[in-house]
Amino acid sequence: MVSLIQGEKEVNMTGMLRSRLAGLSQEQIVFLVSVFFFIGFSLFIQGFASIGNFMIMLRNISVLGIFGVGMGIVVIGRGIDLSQVTTSAVSVAWVLKLMQDGLSIPGAVLLGLLLVILMGVINGYLIAFIEIPPLFATLASGICIYGFVRHYLLNLLNNHYVPESCKSFLVLGQGNILGIPLPVIWFGIIALMCHLFLSRTSFGRFIYAQGDNEEAARLTGIGIRPLKILQYTLCSLIGYLAALIMASSTSSLNVRIVDSTLIFDVVLVVVLGGISLIGGRGGVKSVIAGTILIGILLNGMVLINLGIAQQNLVKSVVLLCAILLDTFMHPSDEETARQGDI
Amino acid sequence: MSGVKDRKPVLQVKKANKVYEGVHAIQNIDFDLYRGEIHALAGENGAGKSTLVKALAGAIELTSGQILINGNRQSFKAPYDALRSGIVMVYQEPGLVEEMTVAQNIFLGKEKLLNRLRSTFIGAQQILQSMKFDVDTSIKVSRLGEAQKRMVEIARAIYHDPKVIIFDEPTATMTPEEKMYFFSVIKSLAEKKISVIYISHALEESLELSDRITVLRDGKQVITSDTKDMTRESIVKNMVGRDITQTYYAKAHKDIQGEAKKKKQILRVENIIKRPIVKNMSFSVYGGEITGIAGLVGSGRTATANIIVGAWKRNMVRGGMIYLEDRPIRYRVPKQAIDDGIVYITEERKLNGFFETMNIDENTYLGWLSTKIGWRFITSKKQEQKIGDTWIDRLKIRTLDRKAKLVELSGGNQQKVVVAKSLVQKPKLVIFDEPTHGVDVAAIEEIHNFIRSLKKQNIGIIVISSYLPEILSLCDRILVARGGRIVEEFSPEDATENKIMYAAVH
Repeated sequence: MVSLIQGEKEVNMTGMLRSRLAGLSQEQIVFLVSVFFFIGFSLFIQGFASIGNFMIMLRNISVLGIFGVGMGIVVIGRGIDLSQVTTSAVSVAWVLKLMQDGLSIPGAVLLGLLLVILMGVINGYLIAFIEIPPLFATLASGICIYGFVRHYLLNLLNNHYVPESCKSFLVLGQGNILGIPLPVIWFGIIALMCHLFLSRTSFGRFIYAQGDNEEAARLTGIGIRPLKILQYTLCSLIGYLAALIMASSTSSLNVRIVDSTLIFDVVLVVVLGGISLIGGRGGVKSVIAGTILIGILLNGMVLINLGIAQQNLVKSVVLLCAILLDTFMHPSDEETARQGDI
Repeated sequence: MSGVKDRKPVLQVKKANKVYEGVHAIQNIDFDLYRGEIHALAGENGAGKSTLVKALAGAIELTSGQILINGNRQSFKAPYDALRSGIVMVYQEPGLVEEMTVAQNIFLGKEKLLNRLRSTFIGAQQILQSMKFDVDTSIKVSRLGEAQKRMVEIARAIYHDPKVIIFDEPTATMTPEEKMYFFSVIKSLAEKKISVIYISHALEESLELSDRITVLRDGKQVITSDTKDMTRESIVKNMVGRDITQTYYAKAHKDIQGEAKKKKQILRVENIIKRPIVKNMSFSVYGGEITGIAGLVGSGRTATANIIVGAWKRNMVRGGMIYLEDRPIRYRVPKQAIDDGIVYITEERKLNGFFETMNIDENTYLGWLSTKIGWRFITSKKQEQKIGDTWIDRLKIRTLDRKAKLVELSGGNQQKVVVAKSLVQKPKLVIFDEPTHGVDVAAIEEIHNFIRSLKKQNIGIIVISSYLPEILSLCDRILVARGGRIVEEFSPEDATENKIMYAAVH
């Protein structure tokens, strides 16, 4: 008897903690953690609390944030797009190559656009119609396009520069408006557009519905397959914008970025902010919260001269904490989890 | 109770209750099982048989009550605990690993640390021989037939050295010969002093096999008696046994039936086939009346509904025909059915009924947005609110917090939202699949009244239900499905629970 009562008490305690945490959304928790780190770093790290550093920090994370917004759309629909960074990077590298070959800026950008849209549609088709799990479909398609573009379109060159003739391309990512770096402004605009798309349009609703319960969405009469193609296309497209801004702000792009941990950073900011991997939860606000926390952490770590390996260690711990928080706040159902297992 | 009274019970259940969202799935069940006894459980779908045995097997926890084994109190938190106490459950669907050999399956989960292939095969062979079952232990399970798979499962159960084995509908997919052999194995288990709990819809099996029979109805224990004192008739009577209410239902219907019968055919289903569940299913549905389909689980009713709305596909060749207002239809996805005005309200609302992260308004509005007329690019808060108001009022959805997510609502309110989400789509034909499954009593009445009110709109209404009082009180025509086809049709005046049950069990 005694043990039974204790057991109940335990359940109540975790239940209470969960409901108290549930009063806060995950993005609010992440935001609070960001504020905590921000104050901590300001007190203990020299040179952290200055407007100059703040602007550098914002500029550094805005490209990551734009990638994250695109990825967020797919993750809300209970998918994932591991080919996003690859597709965007090689497409933009090809755009730069075309510019070097003498094509005009609009022409090159348009061709790159067609390439990423094609990739988005192919991803969506593989996932929606052939029903390959998104993880594998996009992993394979990413590797595939990386090889294809590098070999056939880029002649195996890694580093691509914006040519002298196309200096006006740099307007996109360099310069300031009212002291705010342009990439930050782009991040704001794209985030706002996506926020409106997700929260105010039917398509946005349908994506949430699909992520929440795909079978229910299908029975309600939502065309799931075209919707998935739309999501993966938007994800590649927004990634393409991010990569264009990245190339413009640094005047060059190295396709080896595909081999970096960038794609994991993107997933990190998405999941961290509360876009749950089980789908249907979170929004653009979550991506912004996640991006800010990662931005503060990265900036602080650079200022105290942590090596890349240590930075990755910190990032991975943060990711694990985010996923723990996610499963803690959205536990799986007792009935469905235990039925039929022996 | 004379024959087995003097024996000592292996397993006792005292005052068992399991409550789901305020609804009793089982209520104050007192159950005991003697050593070496075969004890059959009978009852309609939803009578609580599965809930009871799942609690015994540790798949769910009882809300209150005790489980005693050899007089010692046990608490099962997981199937593993039950297994350790000597209770093994053999589920309806074979739980074997298809790509492993027979021997590996038998030893699965209880392998020795150093697992030698040879000793595995020999050990498995010994167990199988003890039940006089001859099969090569080194072949893969995927190559076995249904009955053989059962035998392997029983062998695995025996390897765990159980005191009690529970069978849930074991013979559903067996041929008569396989059944005979299977019964002899079960009897030999009883001779080895292993107790058996046996659930089957086929009453003849229970009568032939068991020592005692317990009948459950609506979660309550109606009777436990020696099999030799029971007959098929007395079991059926105990299974349904609601004599008093029956006359009342029939009366309520006679008034309505007075109206002229000038009804338009909405849907005609001809010989649709989806093996192995649906075989030659044919029926028609008329506007302005409620067509009920009664039957047991597995009789192909839900599958048929899913085929009609395009959620599943019927056989391409000789799959049969479906006509909507005399126009042949074949849908690839449910969206097409909804565009044509056919909606399906699921029996598994948690699995595919509603969106748990959204509130009542959002769920209902989503139904409207996914129709052709309701679609618009920019959503409107005002419209959402208005549609929400209308349907909260029409279905009497009660909630303290209008903005509460659906996952926080009671089963009854969730079901009402699922209904609202479909009915907002202005259908010509509505298919309700178990419309009041797991819903509290007050909400059942409200949902029933709502379904009746739909008749005025002259749309076609199908109600699939395993709960006979529901069928009797709602429907203007009652069809009974068995084994994938419609076997009987009743008018509500001559239908009784006994007649329907007779038609539904084989």
